[in-house]
Amino acid sequence: MSDMSPFDHRQDAELGRALRAALSAPDDAAFVQRVVTAVDRVYGNAEPGQWWSVLTAWARPSLVAAMLVVAAAAFWLGLWVGARSPGSSLATIADPLQTESEHLSVPALLVEDRAPTVDVVLAVALGR
Amino acid sequence: MPPPMRKDHMQDAELAVLAQAGDREAFGELVRRYAGQARRIARTILGDPEDADDAAQDGFLAALRHIGRFDPTRPFGPWLLKIVANAAADRRRRRRVRQAEPLAPYLATTGDSPDRAADLSGLGAALRAALAELPERQRAALVLFDSEGYSHREIGEILGIPEGTVRSDVFHARRTLREKLGTWEEWRKED
Repeated sequence: MSDMSPFDHRQDAELGRALRAALSAPDDAAFVQRVVTAVDRVYGNAEPGQWWSVLTAWARPSLVAAMLVVAAAAFWLGLWVGARSPGSSLATIADPLQTESEHLSVPALLVEDRAPTVDVVLAVALGR
Repeated sequence: MPPPMRKDHMQDAELAVLAQAGDREAFGELVRRYAGQARRIARTILGDPEDADDAAQDGFLAALRHIGRFDPTRPFGPWLLKIVANAAADRRRRRRVRQAEPLAPYLATTGDSPDRAADLSGLGAALRAALAELPERQRAALVLFDSEGYSHREIGEILGIPEGTVRSDVFHARRTLREKLGTWEEWRKED
C-alpha cells in the first residue's frame, strides 16, 4: 500500500495494482471463450436480433395462432349467419318437430296403443 | 463504401447498440473488455476463483438477456458490474443456504497455522487474506475504487448504496487493510 491517507478521495494507484494482481484469475481468453460458448448454448447459433432468426423463432407459434383465429372467426361467422337467416339449418330441423309436438304430450304417449317412433319422442322432448 | 469499423476499435456504447440489435460478435467484444473486471469483482465477493468465474459468466448471460434495457448514453461498465455483483451475491446466498462449503482456504485466514504461513508467501496472498476479513460491501467498494477506477457515484450505482456510504466504506477498508498488511509486514520481517 502507498502512503496515501485513507481519507484521500483519489485512487491509490499502488494499492490498485496490488489488488488487481491479487484478484486477477489467469487466462482471461479461456474465460471469454467459455462465456461465448455458453451464450451459443443458451441462445443457439442464430443471431438473436437478426430479422430472419426472429421470424424463424416466431413462425411456428404464429402459424398456430393464425389457425386458431381463423377457426374461431369461421365458427362465429357461421353462428352469425345462421342466426340471421330465416331458412337456416337449425330452424329447418326444429320446425317440423315443433309442429308435431304441439299435438303431443307425455301422457298422450303413455296411453297410445303403439310404441311411439323416435321422431315423436324427439318432438315431445323439444316441445317441452 | 468505407470498410466496416473493427469491433475492437468501437466505443462500448456502439458495441452495446450492436449487441442490442443482436450482434453476437459485438457482445463478445464487450465480454473481452470486461472479463477481467467482472472476474475480479465476483472473486472479491465470493473468494473462490471457480465460483467467481461461474458468477461472472452468469452475469454476462444476464446482461445479454437484458441488453435491451441498457441505456447507451450511460457508461456500460457500471451497468454490467452491477449485474455481475448481483449474480455473485446470489451465488453466495445460495452457498450460505447450503452451508456445506467452508470459505475458500486462502480467504479464511484467522490463526497462525503452518498452512497460513505457507499461504502468506507473497503480497497477493496477504492482500487476499486481509480482504477476506473486511465486510463484503467494504471489500467491493475498495476494489471498485482503487483497482477498477470507478468513481464513488458509479460505485454507489453498482452496489445500490449512497455515494457517502461508498466514501465511508473505502475509508474503513483502506484503514483495515493498512493495519492488516502492516502486521503482515512486521511478521514477515521477524520470520
